[in-house]
Amino acid sequence: MSAWFSLEILLTLAGVGLILIDSLAPEGIRRRTPLLALLASIGILGWSLYPESRTLPTSWLNLFVSDGLSAVFKPFFLLCLVLVIGMASRYRLEADETVRGEFLALPFFPTAGLCLLASARDFLAVFVALELVSISLYLLAAFHRAKPASLEAGIKLLVMGGLSTGFLVMGIAWLYAGAGTTEFSKLLLSQAGQGANPAVLVAAGLILAGIGFKVAAVPFHAWAPDVYEGSPTPVTAYLAVASKAAGFILLIRVFGIGAFALESVGEFFRPILLTLGIATVTLGTLAALPQRDLKRLLAYSGIAHAGFMILALGTRGEGGIGTVVAYLWAYLLASLPVLLFINELERLHGSTDMRHLDGMGRREPGPSLGFSLCLLSMAGLPPLVGFPVKLAVLANLWSAGETPALVVAVIMAVAGLGIYLTPIRVMYWEREADAIPARRFPPFLIWVMLAAGLLNVWLGLQPQILVRLAEKSLNPLPVAEAIRE
Amino acid sequence: MNLAFTLPALLVIPLIAVVLIALGSRPKATALWASIFNFIPGGLASGVVWRSGELLFGPEPIPVREVFPAKFILGMDGLSLSMVWLTLLVILTAIGSARVGIKREKEYFICLLLIGLGALGAFLSVDLFYFFTFHEVALIPTFLLVGMWGHGDRAGAAWRMTVYLMLGSMVLLVGLIGLYLALPETARSLDWRVLAATLRANPLAPGIQTLVAALLLIGFGALVSLVPFHSWAPGGYASAPAPAAMLHAGVLKKFGLYGLMRVALPMTPDGWREIGWIVGLLLAGNILYLGLASLQQRDFRWLLGFSSAMHMGTVFLGLISGTVLGLAGALTLMVGHGLSAALGFAVAGEISRRTGTSWMRDLGGLAQRTPQLWFYLMIAAMASIGLPGLANFAGEIMIFFGAWTTHPVLVGVAAWGVVLSAVAMLRAVRAIAFGPMSQAVEAEGVSDLQGVRETWPFAVLTLALLVVGIMPIVVYGPARPVLERLLVP
Repeated sequence: MSAWFSLEILLTLAGVGLILIDSLAPEGIRRRTPLLALLASIGILGWSLYPESRTLPTSWLNLFVSDGLSAVFKPFFLLCLVLVIGMASRYRLEADETVRGEFLALPFFPTAGLCLLASARDFLAVFVALELVSISLYLLAAFHRAKPASLEAGIKLLVMGGLSTGFLVMGIAWLYAGAGTTEFSKLLLSQAGQGANPAVLVAAGLILAGIGFKVAAVPFHAWAPDVYEGSPTPVTAYLAVASKAAGFILLIRVFGIGAFALESVGEFFRPILLTLGIATVTLGTLAALPQRDLKRLLAYSGIAHAGFMILALGTRGEGGIGTVVAYLWAYLLASLPVLLFINELERLHGSTDMRHLDGMGRREPGPSLGFSLCLLSMAGLPPLVGFPVKLAVLANLWSAGETPALVVAVIMAVAGLGIYLTPIRVMYWEREADAIPARRFPPFLIWVMLAAGLLNVWLGLQPQILVRLAEKSLNPLPVAEAIRE
Repeated sequence: MNLAFTLPALLVIPLIAVVLIALGSRPKATALWASIFNFIPGGLASGVVWRSGELLFGPEPIPVREVFPAKFILGMDGLSLSMVWLTLLVILTAIGSARVGIKREKEYFICLLLIGLGALGAFLSVDLFYFFTFHEVALIPTFLLVGMWGHGDRAGAAWRMTVYLMLGSMVLLVGLIGLYLALPETARSLDWRVLAATLRANPLAPGIQTLVAALLLIGFGALVSLVPFHSWAPGGYASAPAPAAMLHAGVLKKFGLYGLMRVALPMTPDGWREIGWIVGLLLAGNILYLGLASLQQRDFRWLLGFSSAMHMGTVFLGLISGTVLGLAGALTLMVGHGLSAALGFAVAGEISRRTGTSWMRDLGGLAQRTPQLWFYLMIAAMASIGLPGLANFAGEIMIFFGAWTTHPVLVGVAAWGVVLSAVAMLRAVRAIAFGPMSQAVEAEGVSDLQGVRETWPFAVLTLALLVVGIMPIVVYGPARPVLERLLVP
């Protein structure tokens, strides 16, 4: 019975309900849609913390599984949803103000898709879940119809998303041809003890390319900066955090512990993943340095972070997988507040150019402090939460003996400091000649940003919490469970 | 009575001051009171350390193995004792000599307090994770201080300083990771007491030991401005506002040396001996190259920056001497250099604030116009040269004697360093203090230090220099058992 209250079903119902309210309910209730959407998302987030929420209908069980990884990541996606809904209710839609209800309802659907993706145990399920996510995101990216950049973002995402799906489907087809199944555990069993099957290798390569688009790994990264910059900021946040995390869950499931984790396939892809990681981290960091638009800067910084995570995965150890899980949480905690701040900045000034930060440290000391702490956390500076996860990446590379990757990671971690110090420099150093505008941030932002900054500090000093999370995600190891069956 | 609470109190008091200032309390007064109050836990803790040799705060090492082994343990022994006192004194005097009425006063004092907090935390941490973390806490305040309130090419100086320090920190981090992972899985710990004991019983294999020692040398060395990683230091200190330069050159830089004493020496002894010749070459570079470069400086603050980086070479000589006397000398020189560098940068800050320039060509005749400032300038210069009776002399002479049997050539080089530093400093003093009064000095409004309110930070530093110079045992006495343990094979 409780299967009917699984998160995916509740999310879909909430999304449909919000659209119905927005189109049918009387004006008095309609004006409250943002509040309703926020309450709905918070309610589902709270429910997701109970294990009962993750019981799946029995008929789904050959496609989906409820394990540690999904238990750790479903709340992750719902937390993203809550913050994105909060941002969306404050995003300035200008001429499109009448359709805000849809803007608030739409994010529920990709979230349902992501929750499904987190439990997928079969490539068919992966494909269906990913399409649900992608199609909703095409709509969301192009939502700000009055802004050409937003339309451009929608088209770019559509074309690149289509290309990515093409790679993925092609890969799945090769996989079926080569191994006769698309289920992760059966794949593992059928391939165990054999040499690498060329068809499976081709399939794994194509699937890696498909996922590469999702996580914006070099050379599949080119869409990210334009789409991030053009999309409405809440959608940017969704793409930057939730969508990227989804890509990594897939990578963990198929390359970390699942289908392609076998010695034969995994060892073949180990140098490929490491090369990909080195290229991604290098290009992301170097290209982020000269950016003056905050959203573009975050896009490239997101590419760099993806690179660090791919490097951790490339070491092919349990430690690497745990590192990615912890890294994603740390990335969420640092980057969502940053995007929340950018959303408010855009609301006030109409753009996300860095010059609006000029003298911000003096005008808005509270939000500026929180913003700076979150940026420094992304830079991986102690005592912030970004530090222990970057430390874990370096430690994994060291223990795997990957010296070139380690050297690149160290250099890029140092260069990366420049990315995040640039906005801080503008906020605190620069002249404050620009007439101080009367426009001020709303008071809630002070508390949200300060709380986010303090949370980053606290977790940075208590990294055990993230470690436990990472352990939980791998307990029981989904592979072990699959082999037992 | 258990006085362990005094150790966290040392960190909490500045933190409270930071919060109070952020909430609108008067910045300088709050910061000053906090740094005065900090002497109470500092004094109590030192009392315990004097009597029983060690004071610890935090969870006892539990045998349960955790994936993430860092534990928040604070500790003070004879070695950290003098570092903590140096920090307390320099914070007090840096804040005491900081100006009021500058722009963004609130942030200014918060940044100063955070640098001090980072240094104190690093010197008190027993766990390597927190040891590293606390040092990094000081990085961003330094960036902001140099960038916001600095002089000259402040933007360039701030970036160069930050990138170099970050690079050093990351190399150091990789070295620490390597050290940790080189241990057998059951013996892994981040507690340096446990680590040192484990590694003394079962030393690492020679290859990995040399690699780790080299990484630690580069990492810590970049933080200490060891040649060739020194280029951030002179310009950074020249551009930084005086209190920031005092704190950084006086205290934070000692983090690297302290780390080498704590980690590299006891944990990778063979590796350290293996790369001893490289350290010797580099430290000769510090002494000769930076010493010669300091002769060419025309700006007093740049001169101080170079001379500060140069003296690090002599401390490194103490570190590779392999004798207790040499190490004790290194420790004494660390304290002496911290105090004299702080005094030097404070005097330079006052001179340029009063006359509007720190170019030695534009100064002259300061002794007639501002006799008090001149007096402290002489003290700082004499301490830096190594005049007997001041702390630096005690340190240098101990290093020379300690290193004589093992590294006679380097002692000769270091002796030349004393000559170079004497030439540079005496020329600077002549140009600034003597001769006919220059326009800048003669200008209206140039005044001497006014009464106790302005002189006390200088007097405190001078007094400390004299005390350590006359009785260096206050520094190396309590540290001696620790230093002896460092050298036990």
